[in-house]
Amino acid sequence: MGVRVDNNIMRHLIKAPAYVYEMPWKKIKGWFKGLFAKKKSIRLGLYGPPNSGKTTLANKISVDWTGEPMGSASEVPHETREVQKKEHVVVESDGKKIEMNLLDMPGIATKIDFEEFLEYGFSKKEAQARAKEATKGVIEAIKWLENVDTALVVVDSTQDPYTQVNITIIGNLEAREIPIVIVANKIDLEGAEPERIREAFPQHPVVEISGLTGDHINSLYKAISKHSR
Amino acid sequence: MTDIQIEFLSAGLMSGMETKQKVDYIIDHVKADKILVIGEGMSPIEETALIEETMNQINQKFSGIEVSTLREKTDNGIKDRLIKLLGGRSGGLTVIGPSKIVREMKRDPTHITMYAGDNPKKKKKQD
Repeated sequence: MGVRVDNNIMRHLIKAPAYVYEMPWKKIKGWFKGLFAKKKSIRLGLYGPPNSGKTTLANKISVDWTGEPMGSASEVPHETREVQKKEHVVVESDGKKIEMNLLDMPGIATKIDFEEFLEYGFSKKEAQARAKEATKGVIEAIKWLENVDTALVVVDSTQDPYTQVNITIIGNLEAREIPIVIVANKIDLEGAEPERIREAFPQHPVVEISGLTGDHINSLYKAISKHSR
Repeated sequence: MTDIQIEFLSAGLMSGMETKQKVDYIIDHVKADKILVIGEGMSPIEETALIEETMNQINQKFSGIEVSTLREKTDNGIKDRLIKLLGGRSGGLTVIGPSKIVREMKRDPTHITMYAGDNPKKKKKQD
């Protein structure tokens, strides 16, 4: 049996603004549902410094679950200078399906010297244009920090993990309470020391993989499934 | 060998500044080829704002910064949070310099090592 409560009586009983009683129940139910239900699709951002293997990994994930790559990877730093998006990527692990919009971010750096691009055979004009685009890419990646639901922080296992860029990215995501999975990438390379990454960031899950060869990629999918929200 | 100017700034100087003011102050000084040592650890949000503004300012003469921050952690998490809540700082250190002078900064949780001076790679190119 349903009980009908007069809104005016309620207003006398509890002193709350009038609009509270005038809100349609469907809307209130929707809000509660939104608060507690899992999102239909999450935005998964790949962050890290340039050349840590973000695009190679994004391509691997995209090919594994959609059959298509996302962007072109290169040894030239700042190859990705705009956020690359792949929508409706459905990852399945341990019987759980997660639909995501995969976002391959430009590498974050504190300096961009156009002269570095000259070493890769670019003309001065091309190098300057590339440097300008790269600075815009870094800004775009930073702006996206507040809009991702989960972040993969991709770190090159052959490099010192305790860099300011890694610390700033992770600190920023922590401040925003965004779930983080740290990807110790390039474990196929000689000199890879993924354990250093675990030591540097013990507060977060670390997954050792090779985005290039696909080594241990399933453990990454498990981690995404477990930690994303 | 280029002269290197290092300025040591107290945390008090920065404490009254908003993030934007702080970032502008740092970039103005770094663009004037100064290395700054600040007696506080910048927050990750401030560091990100600094990187963003650095990117806006990069041109042929200014290629960016090298920065390293030590954020001091207290053993008592509640004390740390209370200090932050009251608008205080829980210590730390920040070193920032122009990338044309500061070649590299290496760090661990308690040390920052700065390598400054002429970039041998660039010098070789000019020779």
